[in-house]
Amino acid sequence: MGDSAYSFSLTTFNRTGKLLQIEYALNAVANGRTSLGICAKDGVVIATDKKLASTLVDTEQVRKVENITDGAGFVYSGVGPDYRVLVRKARKSSQSYYLTYREPQPVSQLVKGTASVMQEYTQSGGVRPFGVSLLVAGTDADGTPRLYQVDPSGAYFGWKATAIGKNYVNAKNFLERRYQEDMELEDAIHTALLTLREGFEGEMTSQNIEVGVVSTTDGVFRRLTPEQIQDYLDEAS
Amino acid sequence: MADSVFGIEFDGGVIIAADQTNARSILTYQSNLDKVVQLSSHSAMGVAGPNSDLVNFSEYISKNFALYQLSNDGIQLSTAAQANFCRNELAAALRKGPYQVNILLGGYDKKTSSGSLYWMDYLAALTKLKYGAQGYASNFCLSIMDRDYKEGLTQDEAVQIVEKCIQELKVRFLLNQSNFLIKVIDKDGVRVVKFGADPADN
Repeated sequence: MGDSAYSFSLTTFNRTGKLLQIEYALNAVANGRTSLGICAKDGVVIATDKKLASTLVDTEQVRKVENITDGAGFVYSGVGPDYRVLVRKARKSSQSYYLTYREPQPVSQLVKGTASVMQEYTQSGGVRPFGVSLLVAGTDADGTPRLYQVDPSGAYFGWKATAIGKNYVNAKNFLERRYQEDMELEDAIHTALLTLREGFEGEMTSQNIEVGVVSTTDGVFRRLTPEQIQDYLDEAS
Repeated sequence: MADSVFGIEFDGGVIIAADQTNARSILTYQSNLDKVVQLSSHSAMGVAGPNSDLVNFSEYISKNFALYQLSNDGIQLSTAAQANFCRNELAAALRKGPYQVNILLGGYDKKTSSGSLYWMDYLAALTKLKYGAQGYASNFCLSIMDRDYKEGLTQDEAVQIVEKCIQELKVRFLLNQSNFLIKVIDKDGVRVVKFGADPADN
């Protein structure tokens, strides 16, 4: 990792015990577009604001919600190119798991592996931490739906519902009020869209958001098509 | 080749049996060896081959499974995943320093409430079977199991078939294998139902 001339870490403690590079990475995340996730009793939904620099950008070509395995997906807030590196690494490592065990990797292990990679970049020579926080949705080995957040430091948390990026404080407050233990997936998708709309600058359409869903009925993670998103938006109006 | 290892699936579990002879050339080192090694709480594998590879490979595999459990909040690998992991290790070592072991891996999965049996050889071939045998024993045992196996056997019926196989080997197999050990793997884990000589005796 890094040039031989950079055998020392760029992430170092300051006097008060902080790793400033990680703090600054978290700032990069907090400046990123909002993402959120909700874990229902029969599935998980993750969604993100895909507002882009100009109306000329082809939104179909931009992918923020990505499949890692058939049963798990990521979304992020922060620096897009850093995210793509993590997606690639996660996909490779879960295929490697499949090669060894001929079974899909449980989402909790996918999270631990990815978090471990992110931590490495805070303690290796010549590299900087990833400027993204991830939200990971999937079902675990026993079929339980799970939502995880992974931070630039490599810390990971299991959540019932959470938001990251711009406006995450308001979004989390909104989620806290709306979340119920026995929520069903359809309600969760509905709530996720309402939460996203709360902090949205301008009009929220099926073209400027992305939604990913995994249900316990089939354990398959899917990005919703713009048509499906439009149906949910029509319901919510 | 000389080690007799065979097994059969029944309704709710798997039986694995093996002879207990540890010998090389004209010398019998030991006649109370346990060749059916426990891998996890609900799985075990019968191993045919030189004692060195038997011990080396089975300890390596079982400790890897223990590590997996410790690293992953107590989650255990399914029997299929365990079998594929073993196969992968055999395949990786094949072109470097092969393990000369032929294996019958059996386990019980809570998820499906059933047992499963996997046949693996030293070339890292792997197949799932209802019943199988390794080595010369297959020449004697497979015909018996072909005739007597049916779906939904009870544990007692399956043990009876295994006993028939043991009797056949004792009568017809040139090599004298006086002691056999039978293990059952079901919802309650791995346990010995019969042995010819107690492996714990020194």
